This record gives sequence, C-alpha cells and structure tokens, in this order.
Amino acid sequence: MGDSQYSFSLTTFSPSGKLVQIEHALTAVGSGQTSLGIKAANGVVIATEKKLPSILVDETSVQKIQTLTPNIGVVYSGMGPDFRVLVRKSRKQAQQYYRLYKETIPVTQLVRETAAVMQEFTQSGGVRPFGVSLLIAGYDDNGPQLYQVDPSGSYFSWKASAMGKNVSNAKTFLEKRYTEDMELDDAIHTTILTLKEGYLVFLICCFCLIPLFQSNLIEF
Amino acid sequence: MDFFGDEEEYNTNVLAIIQRNHELVPGALCPAASATSSPSPRRRHRRRRSISMAGAMDLPAKGGFSFDLCRRNAMLAEKGLKMPGFRKTGTTIVGLVFQDGVVLGADTRATEGPIVADKNCEKIHYMAPNIYCCGAGTAADTEAVTDMVSSQLQLHRYATGRESRVVTALTLLKSHLFSYQGHVSAALVLGGVDVTGPHLHTVYPHGSTDTLPFATMGSGSLAAMSVFESKYKEGLTREEGIQLVSDAICAGIFNDLGSGSNVDVCVITKGKTEYLRNHQLPNPRTYVSSKGYSFTKGQTEVLSTKITQLEPKVEVAEGDAMEE
Repeated sequence: MGDSQYSFSLTTFSPSGKLVQIEHALTAVGSGQTSLGIKAANGVVIATEKKLPSILVDETSVQKIQTLTPNIGVVYSGMGPDFRVLVRKSRKQAQQYYRLYKETIPVTQLVRETAAVMQEFTQSGGVRPFGVSLLIAGYDDNGPQLYQVDPSGSYFSWKASAMGKNVSNAKTFLEKRYTEDMELDDAIHTTILTLKEGYLVFLICCFCLIPLFQSNLIEF
Repeated sequence: MDFFGDEEEYNTNVLAIIQRNHELVPGALCPAASATSSPSPRRRHRRRRSISMAGAMDLPAKGGFSFDLCRRNAMLAEKGLKMPGFRKTGTTIVGLVFQDGVVLGADTRATEGPIVADKNCEKIHYMAPNIYCCGAGTAADTEAVTDMVSSQLQLHRYATGRESRVVTALTLLKSHLFSYQGHVSAALVLGGVDVTGPHLHTVYPHGSTDTLPFATMGSGSLAAMSVFESKYKEGLTREEGIQLVSDAICAGIFNDLGSGSNVDVCVITKGKTEYLRNHQLPNPRTYVSSKGYSFTKGQTEVLSTKITQLEPKVEVAEGDAMEE
C-alpha cells in the first residue's frame, strides 16, 4: 500500500486514513509483557508479569504497577520509560484537581486527562507517541472501574482486558472465565491463571482495589 | 531596633515609665520587635528593670490593667512620642516538643479588623500524615501556602515511596515565602515526627525559620510564650504536653484581643497523629432566647397610620391553572 510512504511522519495521515506511527506504537505495545485487569463486583484487580532481563537485576527497583492516588492504580504494557513519564504527569494532574476542587479525582476524570496527554503527543511537532497502553484501575463513588488507554489517546472501559504479548489467548481465556458477579478473590485467582496460561512466568505483580479505597500491592 | 539603646540620655524616668507600661499591659506587643529580633525582647526586659530602679511605682498585685499611667501616656503622646502599633496577626499558635513527639496548639478566632469573622475556624493545617502546621497571619495566605506544600509533599511521597520529612516541608515553605519577599503574610509553626525524630520549626513571612523546642507565633505569642518560658521542661509526658499547650493557648485567648474562642490541639508521635479539634471550649456560647425573636402585637407603639389604596394595574382574567 502507499502507506509506507507516510509511515515516518506522525502528523501526516496516510491515504487509507490511518496515522501509521500510532499503528507502530500499538505494535510496540503488543510486544511488551502481558498485563491484564479484571473488574469484580466489589473491587478491581490489575496484574502483570515482572520478567527481568537477568537474575542479577534487583527486582525491588523495578516497579511495574504504580499508584496514582490512594484509590487509583495503573499497569502498562510496552516501554517502561514512557510509562514513568505518564505516571508522573497523571499524579501531578490528580493533585492539581484536588487543589482546585478539594475532591479526590474521580477515575474517569483522571483517565480523561491522561488520555488527553497521550493524544497531545500524536498531534505535536517533534514528538513521538507514547509506546505504552495503560490499564487504569480505580474505585470511587461509581464503584470499581477499569479503563484501557491506548497510545492514540482513546480510552475504553472494560470488564476484563489484557494487553501486550499473548493478548488474544489471554482475552479468550478471560471471556470464558468472566462472570458479572465475580468476587474480588475470584478475580485475583482468574488473573493469575490467565497469566500462567501464557508461558513460564517468573514473577507476577498483582494490584487490587477494594471498597473503602484500600489498595494492596502484592508481589510473588 | 536600638530605640531604647540610642536614647538612653533622653530621660531615664520617662523610659522607665514607658517600659513599665508595657510590662503592665497583659499580652503586650513589643514595638516592632517582630521576627528579626526575637531573642532580644526577653533580654530587653531585664535591662529595663535595672534602669527603672529610680522612679519606681507600685505594681498591682496580680495582673490586670492599671489605669495609673493613662494620663502620663496622654501627656507623652502630646509631646510627640509614638505609641507602638498593633501587630495584625490576630492569633495564638504554639508548638512544643515532648518526649514522644510534638504537640501543636491554636486558638480558633478569625478576625477582620475589630470584628470576629469566624468563631471556630481551623488553624492547624494538614501537611502530611505525620506533619501538621499552625498558621497565623492572613488566613487566605496560610491556607493557600499549606495546601500547596501539602500537595507537593504528596507528589514527593509518590516519587520517593517514603514518608515525608519535616525539613522537606520546611524548605518548601521557606523558599515559597522568600520568593514572595514577605508579601505572602503567613507566619507558621510547623511540627511533625519523621524517621529522624520529632521536629518543631517556626517560619516567618519573609522566609526565615527557627528550630526550637517550643515556639509561639501570632499576636498572642507573648502571652503564650510567658506560659512556656515558666513551665516548659524537657521530657514532658503526653498529658503534660497537652496541658501546657492548652494553658498557653488559653493565656493567648484571654489576654489577647486577636485570639479567642476555643483551643485546638494536635499531638503527633511516631506512627500516630491525633487532631483534637476543640480540645477545650472555655468560651461557650449561650443563646439566651431559645424562643427566638418574635414580637407580640402591641409591643411596638403605633404613632400614626396612613393607608394608600393602590390603583388596580393588573386585570385578572379567568384561565386555566397552568396556562402560560
């Protein structure tokens, strides 16, 4: 297709109506480590595999799941450094929201603002899109919520979702296993099973949010 | 401020009387003896007493206001002696370090000039789970500055993954205040417990700070400081600390016009913070009339009656109830 001529410039549409750079960014995400999330009736869980390049790496220094506010957490698939930048920006936005409205930021608002940042980088000069997809899990007045944000800046609310390598297998597995009235413990169990489905898993990071805005980060 | 020092030859008797006048007025305000010369007022008192041995007058036995010198003051004012002005920070805020941590205290009166704007405001602000800050000065400035630094500390906690330190809060506050060159009128008592131990600091509107075992700020600071200076000792227990802080705030409440209403206390120890809002209510508000203010007919004397008939301006036509 004539797309290849338009693949190097971010801010130029290809004849088929795509921004090819963003497609490439999604490919970068697709080759990142698997991460997934499940929304249960009374909480949300997000998890990812923590695969380190060598046994010599100090695993406590690698943080794949981060908290943005006491009741919102985020996991990614794709490029780690891009994730760090987004986490920093999101945390700052949450604080600015609080200072302006004296209300802890609702999950949807934070997702929207993060997505806006990601979109900015698809329409500016001299920058490239973020090479990460985020799964933002939060618990607020509207109950447990799970959102996926893509490099293009589009976001979707999911009941259960997976990203990264092996995503089709993981999603099929989730579709079979997911029920509407799942409890949080079931959700955690399902998450771990889904991750193990993929391949030999070394380390799993699990993050779950339950009512009363408590969040727990478990690593094993 | 060497006002007294330079004018020693002026008239020692007159000086003695002015000095005694300051000592008499409870919660006296030092002339321009603000942050910059905080250690000297106490020393000055001692110097003054030695000078004033000459024209000694009998002091009243127990506190209270003596009107003996009012005529003398009026005469001096006529001669052109400038009376000291009032400091605008209407507050008493205190802090002290006890054996397990820090205790902060504040009164709850917010003033707008001579009017009490808020009888029960909160002057102890949250900075971090282990750090609280009392604020004197312009209420908006103290609120805004503490909110801003609290937000910055939260971001810092996320980035580092650690508990915030008191010196971090201190540095953020002082750099902000310094950059505004004293226009942000916030005088703060910052206290907290972190990994390095308990800390207590005072921050002045221009951006200077002090680190102290006990501190007072605001217009009632002298009243409160007198209580601290006489009763503070190292290694106080929690109950002693709270009692001493309450006593100091009460001294400010009762002796300073700019402070009043209730006592708020905050106790911070390693791993635990207790915010005792309205720990003491020494000024209960009693509403005399629970029936309200209704006036029965006949209580107001009718002097004259004039009835004016209004011309009918509107024709009321019959229509449906909800017809527009």
